[in-house]
Amino acid sequence: MILLKKDIIELLDGSVEGVRAALQHAVELEHATIPVYLYTLYSLRPGSNEEVASIIRSVVIEEMLHMTIACNLLNAIGGAPVLDRPGFVPKYPGPLPGGVEASLTVSLAPMSLEHVHDVFMGIEEPETPLRFKALALDKDRPVTIGMFYAKISSQLQNSFFSGNVSRQVVADWWPDQELFPITNLDQARRAIQIIVEQGEGTDLEPLDLEGDYAHYYRFAEIVHGRRLIKNPNATPETPPDQRYIYAGPAVDFDSGQVLPLETNPGLQPYPAGSGAQIAVDAFNASYTNFLRCLHQVFNGHPEMLRSAIGTMESLKEQARAITSIKVDAETFAGPTFQYKPVV
Amino acid sequence: MSYLNPLRLNFAGKFKAAPSTVNNDPTHFNNATFKPQYQEWGKGTENGWWNPSGDAVFRLIDCAVTTAFLNGNELSGDRVLSLRVSDSGTRMPAKMVDLDSEQQMVSQIWGLQIRICDAEGNDAFSGEMDVTSFIDIWGRDIGSDANKVGDGFFSTYYQSVLTNVTWSAKVTSPFLAQLRAQTEETGLSIHFIVDGYNMDHTSPDFTYGRIVGTIGPHVAHEPERFTLGRYLAPVATQGYTVNYCTAVLDTAASKLLIDLGNALPTDGLGGPQSNLGSLTVMYQLQGAWQPLCSVDYLAKGWYTRYAGISALPLSRPLNKDELAAIQSGPLAIQFSPTAQLPGGTVLQEATNGQHVRADQFVFRANPGDVVEVDLWMTQWGQPMANGSIQVVIDNSQLQGQPGIWPDVGTPAKAISFPQTLQTGADGRATLQIKTTDPGNPRDYIDGQVYGIRAYPASQTYSAQDPNEFISLLLWDEFTPDEPITWYGSMQPIFQQYANLYPIMARFLNLASYDDICAGRNLPLLRLAFGLEESDPNVMPVTRDLSAGKRKAILRWLTEIGPDGKPLLGARKVDPVPASTPAGQITGAQSHPSSDPLPTSLLIKGGKAVAMSRRLGQLRAPAQEAK
Repeated sequence: MILLKKDIIELLDGSVEGVRAALQHAVELEHATIPVYLYTLYSLRPGSNEEVASIIRSVVIEEMLHMTIACNLLNAIGGAPVLDRPGFVPKYPGPLPGGVEASLTVSLAPMSLEHVHDVFMGIEEPETPLRFKALALDKDRPVTIGMFYAKISSQLQNSFFSGNVSRQVVADWWPDQELFPITNLDQARRAIQIIVEQGEGTDLEPLDLEGDYAHYYRFAEIVHGRRLIKNPNATPETPPDQRYIYAGPAVDFDSGQVLPLETNPGLQPYPAGSGAQIAVDAFNASYTNFLRCLHQVFNGHPEMLRSAIGTMESLKEQARAITSIKVDAETFAGPTFQYKPVV
Repeated sequence: MSYLNPLRLNFAGKFKAAPSTVNNDPTHFNNATFKPQYQEWGKGTENGWWNPSGDAVFRLIDCAVTTAFLNGNELSGDRVLSLRVSDSGTRMPAKMVDLDSEQQMVSQIWGLQIRICDAEGNDAFSGEMDVTSFIDIWGRDIGSDANKVGDGFFSTYYQSVLTNVTWSAKVTSPFLAQLRAQTEETGLSIHFIVDGYNMDHTSPDFTYGRIVGTIGPHVAHEPERFTLGRYLAPVATQGYTVNYCTAVLDTAASKLLIDLGNALPTDGLGGPQSNLGSLTVMYQLQGAWQPLCSVDYLAKGWYTRYAGISALPLSRPLNKDELAAIQSGPLAIQFSPTAQLPGGTVLQEATNGQHVRADQFVFRANPGDVVEVDLWMTQWGQPMANGSIQVVIDNSQLQGQPGIWPDVGTPAKAISFPQTLQTGADGRATLQIKTTDPGNPRDYIDGQVYGIRAYPASQTYSAQDPNEFISLLLWDEFTPDEPITWYGSMQPIFQQYANLYPIMARFLNLASYDDICAGRNLPLLRLAFGLEESDPNVMPVTRDLSAGKRKAILRWLTEIGPDGKPLLGARKVDPVPASTPAGQITGAQSHPSSDPLPTSLLIKGGKAVAMSRRLGQLRAPAQEAK
C-alpha cells in the first residue's frame, strides 16, 4: 500500500491554492505508476503471455485516464498542470512521489509474479483490500491515496470552479461517463470517485463504477493465475470477502517468454557510445517529448492529444529497440524513463 | 540570399536516418510473390536489404552550434555559441521517406522540427522545416572502398525554410535578437549536409552519420529550397572528384559567399577533406581568368565549424572592378598542381551564367491534379526576366531494370505540360503539369513515376546537372468496392503494407483483419490514417498511398457493421489475381536469376544500388521523348 507523507495531506488547508497543489501532486502520482507498468509490459515477448499483457495494459490505460482527470480537475479550479520539468519523472527505484520512503519502493523490473504481487499490487492496494481467500486485514491506517483523494473531494467548493472550460480535455479514447469536462462540484466529485474506484474498488466490492475489477484485483488475477469470478455459492449473507473467488478462466503466465531485462536500468548509465545508451537516449527523448506534448495538451491545447497518443504508441517500438540489446550474457537493456529534453 | 548570408549560424553533430529497406526492391511490392525472407536482413534481392526493420526515423543527435556570424563577423562570447541544435521537442522525430521504389534518389524529410536550445532544453527558437528532399548526392569519400562502406561513401544536402518560428524572450543574445528582428515576417533558411553514413548493422553507430549545417534568414519572395545565386558545375578534369557548389554575391558587403561544403571529397568515411592542392576561386576580367582568393579548405574546422562556407576575399571587401566583373561574368574553382594531380579548373559556372531550378522538385499527385511547379531562372545569380525555359520528359535519372523491374515513365501521355516557358519580370515561371490516370502500368506498384527537366533554352540538355530535375509520382485512380470490405478492396493494401514495413508488426499485424479489429487498434488506426501528412506519426509513414486509397481506408475503418467492426465481406475464391497488363511488365513476377550488380553492393544496398540503377546518363531529349 502506498502511504503518503503527511506534508502532502497538509497541503490541503481549505484554500483553493491548497487543493491546486494537492492536485498537481495527484497528477505526478498518477503518472509515476505508468513507467512501472510499461516497463514490465515491454519485458513480455511479443505474442506471448497475452492475458497478462492485456491485464497490465488495461490498467495503464486507466492510469492515463486518471492523470487526465487529475489535470482536468486542476484546470477546472483555475490551476495549470506542470508536466514538462525534470522533477516530474520519479527516480526508479524509489518511493512514488510523496510516498513515505519505507512504505513501498517502486522498481522497473521484468515481469514476474513476485513483482506483480510486491510492487503492482502494493501500488494499487486499497485501504481495506477484500482478501478473497487471502490474508488478514492491515491494522495501520495512515494516509493512503484513497484518503488523499477523499480529502481533496471534501475541500472542493463551488466557488473554486473558475477554470476555462476550453482547457478541459476529453477524448474518444475513454467513454463519456469516464472522461467528461469538469465545470462544477458534482462533476468533480464524480471524477474523483472514478479514479479511486478504478484503482481500489470499494470497501464492499472489488468492482469500480463501470463494473470492472479495480486494479488491485486485476493484478491479483495474474498472481493467482485465475480470473476473479462471482462466487456461485454466495448468498446475501455471505461476507464481502467471500462473494468473489479466483476460480475463473486461467491467466497463464509463461516465465520462459519474459525477456530478462535489467532491473532498474537507470541506476548505472550504459557506456557512452554503446548501442544501449544510444537507444535509451532516443527513448528518453521521445518519452520527454510525450510529457512536453501532454503539458501543452493540459495547458490550453487539447487538440494536441492526438499527437501525444501517437508518440505514446511509438514508444513501444523504441522500447523494443532497447530490449533487443544484450548487456551481458543473460540480461537485456531496458528503457530508463529519464527526462531528456535534448538529444 | 538564404542561409548564405552575413548573418548565420553553423552547427555540426550526428544524424540518424533509419529507413526501412524492404521496399528498396520494387518486386517486393508484389503480394503474390512476396516471401517472408524479404523481411530479413541481407543478401540483396532475396532478402530485405540492409535495414528491413527500419522505422524511417530521421533525427539530429549531439548537434551543437559551432560558430555564428553577425554582419559578416565571426562572433565570440555570444550566448548562441553555447546552444544545442535539436529536433522535435513535443512529438516523435521526423521521418525520412523515399518518393518511390524506382526513384530513391530524392529522399524526403517530413515533420522535422528544429530547436536551438540550451542544455536543459529551453528553446531560444524553434521552427518547422518545410518538407524537402536531398539533392546533388554524390560519391564523396574517395579514400574508402565504396563496396565496403556502402552509402557512407555519399554526401548530399537538404535545404528548406523553417516556418512557425517561435522565439523565446528568455534564451537570447545579440545574435539571436538580430536574427529574430530580421526574420520575424519571413522565417528562416536552413541548409545541411549529410555524409559518413554508417550502414554496418553490427555497429552501435549503425544508421548514424555526420551532419553540418547553417541557419540564416529566409528572404521574402525568394525560393525556399535552393539559393538564388551562382551555380558552379564540375568540369571534366582528369583525377578530380568534385561536386556542384553555390555562391552568392553580397553587394552590400562586397563579399562573395561561397559554399563548398558538398563540393569537395573526403578521405574515409566522414573523414577530413582530401588534399587536392591549393584551391583558388577565379573570376573573369575582360575575358581572362583572374584569381580572386584562395580558400584553405584543409584548415582544421573548415568543414565542421564553417560547414564549408567562406566569405571572399577573406581580408578585404571586393573592389569595384571585381564586383562589376563578378556581376557579369562566370566564376570558377581552380586547383594548383600537386605531385599526384595535374591542377586546373575543376568547377565552373555556365558561360552565359544562366540557370533554371524548380523550388519544390518532388511531387505526389492524384489523377486529374494539376501540379504547379515554381521555376526560377537566373543569370549571374539574379532573377532573369523574359528568360526562355525548355521543358522535357527526362526519366534518365529514375531507377529501373528494364525487363526485371516495372518500366518507369509509362504511359508518357498520362502527364502533359508546355515544352517552353517564358519567365516573368521576377524571373519566375509556373510549370503546370496536367495529369490523368496512368492506368496501373506497374501492376503491383501503385501509379507511375516520371522525370521532367526544365533548363535554359540557351543551353544544351547534356550540360545540365543530372540531379536537378522534377520527380513526380502519379497514382492510379482508385475505386473501392461498395460497401467497402476487407476482402473487397482493403486486404491487398494492408497486406502490402505489412509486407513492406515489418516494423508495423511491433504494433499489430496489418495483414490480419482480426488484429486490426482487436483492442484499441481501430481508433488508433483511424487516428494515424487521419493525421496531417506533415505529422511524423501519419500512416503510412512512406506517404505512398493515393488520396483515393487513404479516403477509402478511413471510410472502411469508420463505417462499422452491426458487430462493431469494419465490414469483412466475402473471401474471394482466388484472392490474388496476378494479372499483368499486356506489354507493360515482362518477367517482373520473378527475381532475376543473375543480378548485374556486384555481391558486395547487393548486401550493402541503399543509395549505392539505386544510383547504379539509374537508367542512364543525360540523353538527348529526342531519345527520351518516346
